[in-house]
Amino acid sequence: MTPGAAAQGTGNAPALPAIRYDQHVWAGGQPPPAGTWARPTPATQETSKQGEQFFSSFNCDGCHASGAVGAVGPSLADGRWRYGGTDAAIFYSIFYGRPRGMPAFGGLLPAEVIGSLVSYIRSLEPRGDVATVRWDQ
Amino acid sequence: MLRSARIHRVVLLLLCTLRFASAQAPGSERAADGQWVMPAHDYAATRFSALREITPANAKQLRAAWSFSTGVLGGHEGQPLVVGHTMYVVTPYPNVLYAFDLTHEGYPLRWKYRPWVNPVAIGIACCDVVNRGAVFAAGKIIYNLLDGFTVAIDTASGREVWKTQIADVNLGETTPMAPLVVKDRVLVGTSGGEYGVRGWLKALDLETGRIVWTGYNVGPDSEVLASPARFRTAYDSGANLGVRTWSGDSWRHGGAPVWGWLSYDPLLDLVYYGTGNAAPWNTDQRAGDNKWAASVLARSPGDGSLRWAYQFTPGDAWDFDATQEMILADLPIGGRTRQTLVHFDKNGFAYTLDRGTGELLVAAPYVPTTWATGVDLATGRPRVNPGKVTGASKGNVTDICPTLEGGKNQQPAAFSPITGLFYVPTSNMCMDFAANAVTYIAGTPFMGATTPYRAGPGGNLGAFIAWDAARGKRIWEIKEPYPVWGGALVTGGGVVFYGTLDGWFKAADARTGAVLWKFKAGSGIVGNPVTFRGSDGKQYVAIYAGIGGDWFLLSGDVRSDDPADVRPPASFMPDIARYTSQGGIVWLFSL
Repeated sequence: MTPGAAAQGTGNAPALPAIRYDQHVWAGGQPPPAGTWARPTPATQETSKQGEQFFSSFNCDGCHASGAVGAVGPSLADGRWRYGGTDAAIFYSIFYGRPRGMPAFGGLLPAEVIGSLVSYIRSLEPRGDVATVRWDQ
Repeated sequence: MLRSARIHRVVLLLLCTLRFASAQAPGSERAADGQWVMPAHDYAATRFSALREITPANAKQLRAAWSFSTGVLGGHEGQPLVVGHTMYVVTPYPNVLYAFDLTHEGYPLRWKYRPWVNPVAIGIACCDVVNRGAVFAAGKIIYNLLDGFTVAIDTASGREVWKTQIADVNLGETTPMAPLVVKDRVLVGTSGGEYGVRGWLKALDLETGRIVWTGYNVGPDSEVLASPARFRTAYDSGANLGVRTWSGDSWRHGGAPVWGWLSYDPLLDLVYYGTGNAAPWNTDQRAGDNKWAASVLARSPGDGSLRWAYQFTPGDAWDFDATQEMILADLPIGGRTRQTLVHFDKNGFAYTLDRGTGELLVAAPYVPTTWATGVDLATGRPRVNPGKVTGASKGNVTDICPTLEGGKNQQPAAFSPITGLFYVPTSNMCMDFAANAVTYIAGTPFMGATTPYRAGPGGNLGAFIAWDAARGKRIWEIKEPYPVWGGALVTGGGVVFYGTLDGWFKAADARTGAVLWKFKAGSGIVGNPVTFRGSDGKQYVAIYAGIGGDWFLLSGDVRSDDPADVRPPASFMPDIARYTSQGGIVWLFSL
């Protein structure tokens, strides 16, 4: 089993791109069982658009900037994840908060709203190959 | 000699002395002693040292004498202290305090203090995890931890003497500013204008750290500590200005943080400081002048009572924080010596006020400015360009100069009593400003605007200038490709020092602005140079290298250490990452 595959949610989640930088070592080589978190909000264009509005309404853009390119908080649009980039990981980041100052919104926002935010964030296309920046052309 | 000629000579001598004294700064008695014991060198915040070994004639011989990696990446704002023969350095989060022994080769540490600082503060601090420095008093080094605590460390042992919570990160408060000690009061303030805090200045007891008084910057007189008996403003009157000038109860989350510099006049017994922007950025949610955001306040340090206040940007519609330093200088204006306070505001105007009363004497733009055409000296109010006022109802307002980064931001200016000039690091940029409605949610940003930037007239994003605050005129200018985000130092030897965002540490002739020397310091400079006499008797200049502050948010492409955070370059500064990445180095230079 490939690392990361076991971390995907069940149900009708679309095939996820390869996720970098969030893979854990499995103790004893045993992957954790497939997660039981059920996505409360389907990932559609509509929920993604709603999520974009929520991203502004709930002040997410104040830290992550418009388009989630990063300011006080890290970029959410670069295809790379500090705490994991699966639906579940992003949901937990928003719901429970994270170290280094990501507030926990789970006491304030219903799961459906957070689900829409997850849809929006997941819809952000990372720029092509971000690994190289070149100035000498 | 004829008696009348001798009297004439005596009078002439007296006049010459008075003329020199008229450009003096109060509280600058420390100038000659070769130490640096408080953030801005002295209570007048001159950042002037009388040390004269380094001059325009020999500055090209400056060389790096020593360096030390702080072990921290993050914007290295602030400045070291030198007390006797020990140098103290506070790092950005996690706010390590280093004490270097300047009497032994290589300057090994005497001790280091590693506090626990809540990592939550990293995401609540709006503008990178900076620290603006410590102050020395009564055998203690006192500074703020980012997460809302003030600590006092015994210089002999490096042990913590007291630690006091002054602010609450859950309310969006963080504390990067440098404290000032006046008599037995430690004066501290909070950041959080982008998080809807209600800003304040607090005084702690120097020996115990106990909070003695809290003076809010907005709200009812009882909390602002303004009583009719003691509070006089030059231009406004009436009770509860901190409530009446706000629509509804918008003052409760009105901002007015205190994240900048403090100064003090020991003869008038007044502490001066500036307050930050009104919150939120969307003015529709807080109609009115919004006093005392974007203002200078003068308080008595003993009981915190507000004595006078003057507002630079009424109804702040541009995030024009006024937290920049208040430099105290006695200047010749209108044929007599005035006791003034000089302030280079984010809003692009340089102000000269009477520091006893808050009366406005001079106001002139020190960078290109479009939001206002000038400041009316009779009313003290800016002549606002109505087409540049922002708010959600006004849609996208274009071509506002300067940007909300300011003509100048946290990076402090310096004043030389010898030249009578101020040395000011500036930015030359303009912005559009499209406001939108926002909801206050404790612990989250409370802003409400999209504000793209571009270069101002001329295309250079910054300049280091010399300014005559008696006449409101620029005397000379060194253009820079990037905003000049590090502070200034000026010396008795006639040399000014400053650093650039692309990592150059420069020395220039204080009279002419000719660049004398420069050194590529390893990372962009956002800190403030200091100078001191080493244990070998030589003059040393110290500076931090380590880009950050607002330029970390906006130029996230300088970050290299976090593979999970890759950002596009800033549109108006697309190539800064070509010249610098994050760093953390303390440098010493000498001849």
